[in-house]
Amino acid sequence: MLVMGVETSCDESSVSIVKDGKLVLSNIVLSQIDIHQAYGGVVPEIASREHVKGITRVFDQALKKANVTLDDIDLIAVTEGPGLIGSLLIGINAAKTVALDRQIPIVGVHHIAGHIYANHISNELEFPCLALVVSGGHTELILMKEHMDFRKLGETQDDAVGEAYDKIARVLHLPYPGGPQVDYLASLGMDKYHFPRPLIDSPDYNFSFSGLKSHVINLHHNLMQRAEEFEVADFCRSFQEAVTDILVHKTKKAAKEYQVKQIIVAGGVAANKGLRKKMKEWIQDIPVFFPAMEYCTDNAAMIAVAGYHQYQKNPTSSNMMLNGNSRLNLE
Amino acid sequence: MKSLYKRLILDTATKSIYVALYLGDEELQVRFQEGLNDHSVTLLPMLEEMLKTIHWKLEDLDEVYIGIGPGSYTGVRIGVSVAKMIGFMHPIDIYTVSSLFLLASSSDSSEIVSFIDARRNNAFMAYYKQNNHVLTEVIGDCLENIDTFLSKVSPLATVIKQGCPKGYKVFTSHMGQKVSELHDLVPNYLQITEAERKKG
Repeated sequence: MLVMGVETSCDESSVSIVKDGKLVLSNIVLSQIDIHQAYGGVVPEIASREHVKGITRVFDQALKKANVTLDDIDLIAVTEGPGLIGSLLIGINAAKTVALDRQIPIVGVHHIAGHIYANHISNELEFPCLALVVSGGHTELILMKEHMDFRKLGETQDDAVGEAYDKIARVLHLPYPGGPQVDYLASLGMDKYHFPRPLIDSPDYNFSFSGLKSHVINLHHNLMQRAEEFEVADFCRSFQEAVTDILVHKTKKAAKEYQVKQIIVAGGVAANKGLRKKMKEWIQDIPVFFPAMEYCTDNAAMIAVAGYHQYQKNPTSSNMMLNGNSRLNLE
Repeated sequence: MKSLYKRLILDTATKSIYVALYLGDEELQVRFQEGLNDHSVTLLPMLEEMLKTIHWKLEDLDEVYIGIGPGSYTGVRIGVSVAKMIGFMHPIDIYTVSSLFLLASSSDSSEIVSFIDARRNNAFMAYYKQNNHVLTEVIGDCLENIDTFLSKVSPLATVIKQGCPKGYKVFTSHMGQKVSELHDLVPNYLQITEAERKKG
């Protein structure tokens, strides 16, 4: 079965062709990162304008790279939400036009389900499975007992972890997007400041990064005011150690409580090298998987893979009335 | 032969949806939905149902006319994305049409100002004269202070803010602009984004 995935939930227009929910024949990603860099973050109206500008080119390249035609496609899977509504609607309506034209089924996929299934491309999911979802918009621990079955164990009460990274990076005047920069500098610095680890010992599986973020920003402000010298790398390392301590500790605790067979990490922050290292070091009795680097950030291959499983589980889920939902719930 | 062309006209640039299927200059199917603000849900099922009714497929179409604004209402991108995808999938000629022209076509007055509100006393407006169902553009699409614009037009002109387009006037008035490079087709926003404006 050939599935065409379509993803336009934020600032990447992506179309992918995936065979049998596993083999990626093409995964074209048209990133707008250079455009939004000038504004220090994604501007929704500009993102929507760029999606409509690039949409047919991305479809064209995905088909050519996979060496297939639209006649070969059996199912189309498109990100339904969450995300920027104006951006979501472009992918959804482009996908619906294909579905109408070829008379093939169309399914709406949850963006986070996509990130989780990015792991299924290079590794077989085994259940029960615990997913740590970490990105610019999400920080969640999700328990899966079978395919396309999601139970949220906990989530951030304020900032998403990627958001906190980006804000710290902005204060330190690092180029956008700041997350990878902080990660790189952290590898050069030392944990000199021992920042607090909010909620690390709370009985639930929730997270909070807003207080930690403010603490880091305030200390930076004070040091600047007093004209004290400090190493940016030490700042980054101290922040990263605090964040990864919390993430790994809570993941480990949940994995033990729910006796999972594997742990997967999903979302843009899954590319963070400090997090990858600590997960492997701290959790050795349960296998931990990360998506390949190219599938950590937003892409349509992960949407095609999740869409394949969604359709297998519920073949009547095809829906031409599909709408974008900026706050779509995963459960 | 031209009178037998199978044509689709589509406009989602305002809070209404307009979809029409023409055989030459003859309207076979038309839908006009106002005020529901659910373009993303409605447009494709509506088009599918209309095509089925007259046993057409998208690939049977010879020409698609797409309303491209002006304005940056989210809906405009829905219609333009759909038109681009149709043009991408099939060798069909795509033509752009001003959504203000489509609005004006709903009226049979001899002088028409078509009007899409842009807030803060501004509007997207255009001024047309009409003779025997043929509209001629006097002032093309612009974004301007409402009073300033109205001072430039005849006080007898009818101001049109809503109404079901009469699609055949696109053909009689030769208002379609053929798209040469489909991949580059974008709506006519007529203004840069607020973020770009602030950045300077």
